[in-house]
Amino acid sequence: MAQPSISLENTSVADLMLDAYEGAYEQGWTDGLPIIPATAAAVNRFVAESGHEAAEVVAVLPPRRGEATVEVIAVNAVMAGCRPEYMPVIIAAVEAIADRNYPLEFIQVTTNPMTPFFLVNGPVRQHLDINYGAGCLGPGWRANATIGRAVRLILQNVGGALPGVYSKSSFGSPLRYAFICGENEEENPWTPFHVDRGFKKSDSTITAFKASNYCNISGGEGVGPEEILRQIATNMPPMYGGGDGVLLLLGVNHARSLHEAGLAKKDLQQKLWEFARVPEDHFAADFVVMERAAGRGDGRMLYRTQSPEHIHIVVAGGPGPQDVYIAGGRPQTRLIGR
Amino acid sequence: MITTDAFSSFGRRLAATKGFPYVVIAETPNPIRQLDEQSLNQRALAMIDTVVFGLTQPPAAIERSIRDTAMQQIHPKGVVRAAKPV
Repeated sequence: MAQPSISLENTSVADLMLDAYEGAYEQGWTDGLPIIPATAAAVNRFVAESGHEAAEVVAVLPPRRGEATVEVIAVNAVMAGCRPEYMPVIIAAVEAIADRNYPLEFIQVTTNPMTPFFLVNGPVRQHLDINYGAGCLGPGWRANATIGRAVRLILQNVGGALPGVYSKSSFGSPLRYAFICGENEEENPWTPFHVDRGFKKSDSTITAFKASNYCNISGGEGVGPEEILRQIATNMPPMYGGGDGVLLLLGVNHARSLHEAGLAKKDLQQKLWEFARVPEDHFAADFVVMERAAGRGDGRMLYRTQSPEHIHIVVAGGPGPQDVYIAGGRPQTRLIGR
Repeated sequence: MITTDAFSSFGRRLAATKGFPYVVIAETPNPIRQLDEQSLNQRALAMIDTVVFGLTQPPAAIERSIRDTAMQQIHPKGVVRAAKPV
Protein backbone atom coordinates (compact mmCIF):
# COMPACT_ATOMS: atom_id res chain seq x y z
CA MET A 1 0.00 0.00 0.00
CA ALA A 2 1.37 3.42 -0.94
CA GLN A 3 2.36 5.48 2.08
CA PRO A 4 1.84 9.25 2.29
CA SER A 5 5.05 10.96 1.29
CA ILE A 6 6.64 14.32 0.78
CA SER A 7 8.86 15.13 -2.21
CA LEU A 8 11.82 17.33 -1.43
CA GLU A 9 14.48 18.96 -3.53
CA ASN A 10 17.56 20.78 -2.39
CA THR A 11 21.13 21.19 -3.54
CA SER A 12 22.53 20.55 -0.06
CA VAL A 13 22.23 17.27 1.85
CA ALA A 14 22.22 19.13 5.16
CA ASP A 15 19.42 21.41 4.00
CA LEU A 16 17.52 18.41 2.64
CA MET A 17 17.69 16.76 6.07
CA LEU A 18 16.33 19.95 7.66
CA ASP A 19 13.55 20.13 5.07
CA ALA A 20 12.66 16.51 5.83
CA TYR A 21 12.41 17.30 9.53
CA GLU A 22 10.29 20.40 8.93
CA GLY A 23 8.05 18.57 6.48
CA ALA A 24 7.51 15.58 8.77
CA TYR A 25 6.82 17.86 11.73
CA GLU A 26 4.22 19.78 9.76
CA GLN A 27 2.50 16.52 8.92
CA GLY A 28 2.47 15.43 12.60
CA TRP A 29 4.72 12.44 11.93
CA THR A 30 7.38 13.14 14.58
CA ASP A 31 7.62 13.19 18.37
CA GLY A 32 8.98 16.70 18.05
CA LEU A 33 12.56 15.54 17.50
CA PRO A 34 14.34 15.34 14.11
CA ILE A 35 13.76 12.22 12.04
CA ILE A 36 15.76 10.25 9.51
CA PRO A 37 13.96 10.47 6.14
CA ALA A 38 12.29 7.14 5.41
CA THR A 39 13.31 6.75 1.80
CA ALA A 40 12.07 3.77 -0.18
CA ALA A 41 15.56 2.25 -0.23
CA ALA A 42 15.95 2.51 3.55
CA VAL A 43 12.49 1.06 4.19
CA ASN A 44 13.21 -1.86 1.86
CA ARG A 45 16.43 -2.64 3.77
CA PHE A 46 14.52 -2.68 7.04
CA VAL A 47 11.77 -4.90 5.65
CA ALA A 48 14.37 -7.32 4.32
CA GLU A 49 16.02 -7.52 7.75
CA SER A 50 12.70 -8.26 9.44
CA GLY A 51 12.24 -11.67 7.88
CA HIS A 52 8.63 -10.82 7.03
CA GLU A 53 6.75 -9.66 3.94
CA ALA A 54 6.18 -5.90 3.68
CA ALA A 55 2.39 -6.19 3.51
CA GLU A 56 2.04 -8.48 6.52
CA VAL A 57 -0.24 -6.86 9.10
CA VAL A 58 1.38 -7.17 12.52
CA ALA A 59 -1.39 -5.39 14.40
CA VAL A 60 -4.29 -2.96 14.12
CA LEU A 61 -3.67 -0.16 16.61
CA PRO A 62 -6.29 1.86 18.45
CA PRO A 63 -7.87 4.29 18.53
CA ARG A 64 -7.35 5.19 14.88
CA ARG A 65 -7.32 1.46 13.91
CA GLY A 66 -4.38 1.98 11.61
CA GLU A 67 -2.73 -1.14 10.21
CA ALA A 68 0.81 -1.64 11.46
CA THR A 69 2.19 -3.58 8.50
CA VAL A 70 5.83 -4.57 8.42
CA GLU A 71 6.42 -1.79 5.89
CA VAL A 72 4.76 0.82 8.13
CA ILE A 73 6.78 -0.39 11.10
CA ALA A 74 9.91 -0.09 8.97
CA VAL A 75 9.04 3.49 8.00
CA ASN A 76 8.74 4.50 11.63
CA ALA A 77 11.87 2.55 12.59
CA VAL A 78 13.89 4.40 9.94
CA MET A 79 12.50 7.75 11.12
CA ALA A 80 13.38 6.88 14.72
CA GLY A 81 17.02 6.25 13.83
CA CYS A 82 17.00 2.47 14.29
CA ARG A 83 19.35 0.00 12.68
CA PRO A 84 17.68 -2.56 10.35
CA GLU A 85 18.53 -5.40 12.72
CA TYR A 86 16.23 -3.89 15.37
CA MET A 87 13.15 -4.80 13.30
CA PRO A 88 12.39 -8.17 14.97
CA VAL A 89 12.44 -6.46 18.38
CA ILE A 90 10.11 -3.67 17.24
CA ILE A 91 7.73 -6.13 15.59
CA ALA A 92 7.58 -8.23 18.76
CA ALA A 93 6.97 -5.06 20.81
CA VAL A 94 4.05 -4.07 18.59
CA GLU A 95 2.61 -7.59 18.86
CA ALA A 96 2.85 -7.38 22.65
CA ILE A 97 1.02 -4.07 22.99
CA ALA A 98 -1.64 -5.16 20.51
CA ASP A 99 -2.57 -8.17 22.64
CA ARG A 100 -6.23 -7.91 23.59
CA ASN A 101 -5.30 -8.27 27.26
CA TYR A 102 -3.07 -5.20 27.07
CA PRO A 103 -4.98 -1.94 27.66
CA LEU A 104 -3.55 -0.10 24.64
CA GLU A 105 -6.65 1.86 23.67
CA PHE A 106 -6.99 3.17 27.20
CA ILE A 107 -3.30 4.13 27.27
CA GLN A 108 -3.63 5.92 23.92
CA VAL A 109 -6.55 8.18 24.86
CA THR A 110 -6.56 8.70 28.63
CA THR A 111 -5.80 11.95 30.44
CA ASN A 112 -3.29 9.93 32.52
CA PRO A 113 0.32 9.90 31.21
CA MET A 114 0.64 6.11 31.25
CA THR A 115 2.76 4.54 28.54
CA PRO A 116 4.23 1.16 27.58
CA PHE A 117 7.46 0.12 29.29
CA PHE A 118 9.48 -2.57 27.53
CA LEU A 119 11.78 -5.11 29.13
CA VAL A 120 14.13 -7.11 26.91
CA ASN A 121 15.51 -10.50 27.92
CA GLY A 122 17.85 -13.02 26.37
CA PRO A 123 20.83 -13.02 24.00
CA VAL A 124 19.36 -10.26 21.82
CA ARG A 125 20.58 -7.78 24.43
CA GLN A 126 24.19 -8.50 23.52
CA HIS A 127 23.52 -8.97 19.80
CA LEU A 128 21.95 -5.52 19.48
CA ASP A 129 23.79 -3.79 22.34
CA ILE A 130 20.61 -3.12 24.32
CA ASN A 131 21.70 -1.57 27.60
CA TYR A 132 20.76 -3.40 30.78
CA GLY A 133 23.50 -2.08 33.04
CA ALA A 134 24.59 1.36 34.19
CA GLY A 135 22.40 4.07 32.71
CA CYS A 136 20.03 1.59 31.09
CA LEU A 137 16.99 3.86 31.36
CA GLY A 138 18.76 7.02 30.29
CA PRO A 139 20.20 8.55 27.15
CA GLY A 140 23.34 7.37 25.35
CA TRP A 141 22.45 3.95 23.93
CA ARG A 142 21.21 3.84 20.37
CA ALA A 143 19.24 0.60 20.64
CA ASN A 144 17.37 1.65 23.79
CA ALA A 145 16.68 5.16 22.52
CA THR A 146 15.58 4.29 19.00
CA ILE A 147 13.63 1.07 19.60
CA GLY A 148 11.58 2.85 22.25
CA ARG A 149 11.20 5.84 19.97
CA ALA A 150 10.12 3.70 17.01
CA VAL A 151 7.28 2.25 19.06
CA ARG A 152 6.21 5.76 20.14
CA LEU A 153 6.13 6.92 16.51
CA ILE A 154 4.08 3.84 15.60
CA LEU A 155 1.62 4.53 18.42
CA GLN A 156 1.28 8.08 17.16
CA ASN A 157 1.35 7.64 13.39
CA VAL A 158 -0.50 4.34 13.15
CA GLY A 159 -2.55 4.31 16.35
CA GLY A 160 -3.32 8.00 16.15
CA ALA A 161 -2.16 9.08 19.64
CA LEU A 162 -1.67 12.68 18.58
CA PRO A 163 -1.39 15.01 21.58
CA GLY A 164 -4.56 16.98 22.12
CA VAL A 165 -6.39 15.25 19.25
CA TYR A 166 -6.88 11.57 20.13
CA SER A 167 -4.55 11.52 23.13
CA LYS A 168 -6.08 13.58 25.92
CA SER A 169 -3.10 13.16 28.22
CA SER A 170 -3.06 16.31 30.33
CA PHE A 171 0.71 16.46 30.71
CA GLY A 172 2.09 13.72 28.52
CA SER A 173 5.32 12.29 29.92
CA PRO A 174 9.05 12.23 29.14
CA LEU A 175 8.67 8.47 29.42
CA ARG A 176 6.67 8.57 26.21
CA TYR A 177 9.79 9.27 24.14
CA ALA A 178 11.34 5.88 24.93
CA PHE A 179 10.90 3.68 28.00
CA ILE A 180 12.85 0.45 27.60
CA CYS A 181 15.79 -1.47 28.98
CA GLY A 182 17.18 -4.94 29.17
CA GLU A 183 17.25 -7.09 32.29
CA ASN A 184 20.67 -7.47 33.88
CA GLU A 185 20.49 -11.26 33.76
CA GLU A 186 24.25 -11.55 34.31
CA GLU A 187 24.01 -10.00 37.77
CA ASN A 188 20.58 -11.44 38.61
CA PRO A 189 21.12 -14.07 41.32
CA TRP A 190 17.67 -15.54 40.66
CA THR A 191 15.93 -16.58 37.43
CA PRO A 192 15.46 -13.97 34.69
CA PHE A 193 12.01 -12.50 34.22
CA HIS A 194 11.28 -14.29 30.94
CA VAL A 195 12.18 -17.65 32.47
CA ASP A 196 9.64 -16.98 35.23
CA ARG A 197 7.10 -16.46 32.45
CA GLY A 198 7.82 -19.85 30.92
CA PHE A 199 10.47 -19.08 28.32
CA LYS A 200 13.92 -20.65 28.01
CA LYS A 201 16.94 -18.68 29.17
CA SER A 202 18.26 -18.86 25.61
CA ASP A 203 15.07 -17.26 24.22
CA SER A 204 15.07 -13.57 23.41
CA THR A 205 11.87 -11.87 24.48
CA ILE A 206 10.32 -8.46 24.93
CA THR A 207 7.69 -7.76 27.60
CA ALA A 208 5.36 -4.78 27.48
CA PHE A 209 4.06 -3.38 30.77
CA LYS A 210 1.43 -0.69 31.25
CA ALA A 211 3.53 1.87 33.10
CA SER A 212 2.10 4.81 35.01
CA ASN A 213 5.23 6.35 36.53
CA TYR A 214 8.95 6.18 37.17
CA CYS A 215 10.38 6.50 40.67
CA ASN A 216 14.02 6.05 41.63
CA ILE A 217 14.53 4.73 45.16
CA SER A 218 17.84 5.56 46.80
CA GLY A 219 19.37 4.21 49.96
CA GLY A 220 19.22 1.04 52.00
CA GLU A 221 22.92 0.25 51.76
CA GLY A 222 24.33 -2.17 54.33
CA VAL A 223 21.26 -2.11 56.55
CA GLY A 224 19.93 -5.64 56.15
CA PRO A 225 17.22 -7.15 53.98
CA GLU A 226 14.25 -6.01 56.05
CA GLU A 227 15.32 -2.37 55.93
CA ILE A 228 16.10 -2.55 52.21
CA LEU A 229 12.61 -3.88 51.51
CA ARG A 230 10.93 -1.36 53.82
CA GLN A 231 12.80 1.44 52.08
CA ILE A 232 11.53 0.18 48.74
CA ALA A 233 7.98 -0.41 49.99
CA THR A 234 7.58 3.08 51.41
CA ASN A 235 8.29 4.50 47.95
CA MET A 236 5.53 2.55 46.25
CA PRO A 237 2.26 3.61 47.90
CA PRO A 238 -1.20 2.90 46.47
CA MET A 239 -1.81 5.27 43.57
CA TYR A 240 -4.60 6.19 41.21
CA GLY A 241 -4.14 4.51 37.81
CA GLY A 242 -1.33 2.28 39.04
CA GLY A 243 -3.24 -0.51 40.71
CA ASP A 244 -2.57 -3.07 37.99
CA GLY A 245 0.75 -3.97 39.52
CA VAL A 246 4.27 -3.05 40.43
CA LEU A 247 7.41 -3.52 38.42
CA LEU A 248 10.48 -3.28 40.60
CA LEU A 249 13.78 -2.87 38.79
CA LEU A 250 15.98 -4.07 41.64
CA GLY A 251 19.48 -2.65 41.56
CA VAL A 252 22.35 -5.13 41.49
CA ASN A 253 23.65 -4.17 44.96
CA HIS A 254 20.31 -4.86 46.61
CA ALA A 255 19.74 -7.98 44.54
CA ARG A 256 23.02 -9.42 45.78
CA SER A 257 22.32 -8.45 49.42
CA LEU A 258 18.83 -9.89 49.41
CA HIS A 259 19.97 -13.11 47.75
CA GLU A 260 22.84 -13.51 50.20
CA ALA A 261 20.30 -13.12 53.03
CA GLY A 262 18.62 -16.24 51.68
CA LEU A 263 15.57 -14.56 50.12
CA ALA A 264 13.95 -15.92 46.97
CA LYS A 265 11.96 -13.73 44.56
CA LYS A 266 8.66 -14.91 46.03
CA ASP A 267 9.91 -13.88 49.47
CA LEU A 268 10.59 -10.38 48.13
CA GLN A 269 7.12 -10.26 46.59
CA GLN A 270 5.47 -11.35 49.85
CA LYS A 271 7.42 -8.93 52.05
CA LEU A 272 6.94 -5.97 49.73
CA TRP A 273 3.23 -6.73 49.53
CA GLU A 274 3.02 -6.70 53.35
CA PHE A 275 5.22 -3.63 53.85
CA ALA A 276 3.61 -1.48 51.12
CA ARG A 277 0.36 -0.95 52.98
CA VAL A 278 -0.96 2.42 54.08
CA PRO A 279 -3.82 3.19 56.52
CA GLU A 280 -7.04 4.02 54.70
CA ASP A 281 -7.52 7.29 56.55
CA HIS A 282 -4.42 8.59 54.78
CA PHE A 283 -6.32 8.73 51.49
CA ALA A 284 -9.31 10.49 49.91
CA ALA A 285 -12.57 8.63 50.56
CA ASP A 286 -13.36 8.10 46.85
CA PHE A 287 -9.98 6.49 46.30
CA VAL A 288 -10.47 4.14 49.25
CA VAL A 289 -13.84 3.01 47.88
CA MET A 290 -12.29 2.35 44.48
CA GLU A 291 -9.31 0.44 45.86
CA ARG A 292 -11.46 -1.68 48.16
CA ALA A 293 -13.74 -2.54 45.23
CA ALA A 294 -10.64 -3.65 43.29
CA GLY A 295 -9.62 -6.00 46.12
CA ARG A 296 -6.76 -3.83 47.35
CA GLY A 297 -7.95 -3.08 50.88
CA ASP A 298 -9.18 -4.80 54.02
CA GLY A 299 -11.20 -2.04 55.66
CA ARG A 300 -8.24 -0.76 57.61
CA MET A 301 -5.30 -0.71 55.23
CA LEU A 302 -4.96 -0.18 51.49
CA TYR A 303 -2.68 -2.60 49.68
CA ARG A 304 -0.40 -1.66 46.82
CA THR A 305 -1.48 -4.66 44.75
CA GLN A 306 -4.17 -7.30 44.97
CA SER A 307 -1.64 -10.04 45.64
CA PRO A 308 2.14 -10.57 45.89
CA GLU A 309 2.11 -12.07 42.37
CA HIS A 310 1.29 -8.65 40.94
CA ILE A 311 4.67 -7.37 42.14
CA HIS A 312 7.12 -8.17 39.34
CA ILE A 313 10.82 -8.36 40.24
CA VAL A 314 13.50 -7.68 37.62
CA VAL A 315 17.22 -6.98 38.14
CA ALA A 316 18.65 -4.10 36.12
CA GLY A 317 21.03 -1.19 36.18
CA GLY A 318 24.57 -0.66 37.36
CA PRO A 319 26.27 -0.69 40.77
CA GLY A 320 24.88 1.53 43.50
CA PRO A 321 22.19 1.56 46.20
CA GLN A 322 19.43 2.37 43.71
CA ASP A 323 16.25 0.68 42.56
CA VAL A 324 13.48 1.82 40.26
CA TYR A 325 9.82 1.42 41.02
CA ILE A 326 7.42 1.56 38.10
CA ALA A 327 3.67 1.40 38.65
CA GLY A 328 3.59 -1.30 36.01
CA GLY A 329 1.34 -4.21 35.30
CA ARG A 330 -0.51 -6.25 32.66
CA PRO A 331 2.72 -7.70 31.22
CA GLN A 332 2.60 -9.22 27.72
CA THR A 333 5.66 -11.15 26.57
CA ARG A 334 6.58 -12.04 22.99
CA LEU A 335 9.41 -14.02 21.48
CA ILE A 336 11.72 -11.94 19.33
CA GLY A 337 12.40 -13.18 15.83
CA ARG A 338 10.12 -16.22 15.83
CA MET B 1 -23.90 9.52 22.90
CA ILE B 2 -24.18 11.59 26.04
CA THR B 3 -21.11 13.61 26.96
CA THR B 4 -19.97 16.75 28.66
CA ASP B 5 -18.99 19.42 26.15
CA ALA B 6 -15.27 19.03 26.87
CA PHE B 7 -15.43 15.58 25.36
CA SER B 8 -17.89 15.96 22.49
CA SER B 9 -15.32 16.21 19.71
CA PHE B 10 -13.23 13.50 21.27
CA GLY B 11 -16.28 11.28 21.67
CA ARG B 12 -17.21 11.71 18.03
CA ARG B 13 -13.64 10.97 16.97
CA LEU B 14 -13.63 7.76 18.94
CA ALA B 15 -17.10 6.81 17.69
CA ALA B 16 -15.80 7.31 14.16
CA THR B 17 -13.04 4.78 14.79
CA LYS B 18 -15.77 2.28 15.64
CA GLY B 19 -17.67 3.09 12.45
CA PHE B 20 -20.19 5.62 13.82
CA PRO B 21 -19.10 9.10 12.71
CA TYR B 22 -22.65 10.51 12.66
CA VAL B 23 -23.65 9.50 16.17
CA VAL B 24 -25.99 12.05 17.70
CA ILE B 25 -24.33 13.66 20.71
CA ALA B 26 -26.34 15.14 23.55
CA GLU B 27 -23.96 17.34 25.47
CA THR B 28 -24.00 19.27 28.74
CA PRO B 29 -21.47 21.74 30.14
CA ASN B 30 -18.43 20.25 31.86
CA PRO B 31 -17.92 19.36 34.73
CA ILE B 32 -20.78 17.40 36.26
CA ARG B 33 -19.20 15.42 39.06
CA GLN B 34 -20.07 18.10 41.60
CA LEU B 35 -23.80 18.25 40.72
CA ASP B 36 -26.49 17.12 43.12
CA GLU B 37 -29.40 14.89 42.04
CA GLN B 38 -31.74 17.77 41.27
CA SER B 39 -29.16 19.53 39.12
CA LEU B 40 -28.38 16.32 37.26
CA ASN B 41 -32.08 15.84 36.54
CA GLN B 42 -32.26 19.36 35.09
CA ARG B 43 -29.26 18.65 32.90
CA ALA B 44 -30.82 15.39 31.73
CA LEU B 45 -34.13 17.08 30.90
CA ALA B 46 -32.29 19.66 28.82
CA MET B 47 -30.73 16.88 26.73
CA ILE B 48 -33.79 14.70 26.31
CA ASP B 49 -34.95 16.24 23.02
CA THR B 50 -31.57 15.54 21.43
CA VAL B 51 -31.67 11.96 22.65
CA VAL B 52 -35.18 11.50 21.21
CA PHE B 53 -34.02 12.98 17.90
CA GLY B 54 -31.13 10.56 17.74
CA LEU B 55 -33.31 7.57 18.52
CA THR B 56 -36.22 8.38 16.19
CA GLN B 57 -34.80 9.99 13.07
CA PRO B 58 -33.68 7.90 10.09
CA PRO B 59 -29.88 7.63 9.80
CA ALA B 60 -29.84 9.45 6.45
CA ALA B 61 -31.61 12.46 7.96
CA ILE B 62 -29.22 12.50 10.90
CA GLU B 63 -26.21 12.34 8.59
CA ARG B 64 -27.52 15.22 6.48
CA SER B 65 -28.12 17.43 9.51
CA ILE B 66 -24.75 16.97 11.21
CA ARG B 67 -22.38 15.89 8.42
CA ASP B 68 -20.31 19.07 8.16
CA THR B 69 -20.03 19.52 11.92
CA ALA B 70 -19.08 15.89 12.36
CA MET B 71 -16.35 16.01 9.71
CA GLN B 72 -14.83 19.13 11.24
CA GLN B 73 -14.84 17.47 14.67
CA ILE B 74 -13.29 14.24 13.41
CA HIS B 75 -10.61 15.77 11.15
CA PRO B 76 -10.13 19.41 12.12
CA LYS B 77 -8.55 21.14 9.15
CA GLY B 78 -4.83 21.64 9.62
CA VAL B 79 -4.69 20.15 13.12
CA VAL B 80 -2.09 17.43 13.65
CA ARG B 81 -1.45 18.17 17.32
CA ALA B 82 -3.01 20.58 19.84
CA ALA B 83 -1.72 21.83 23.19
CA LYS B 84 -5.30 22.79 24.00
CA PRO B 85 -7.24 19.58 23.31
CA VAL B 86 -9.38 19.73 20.20
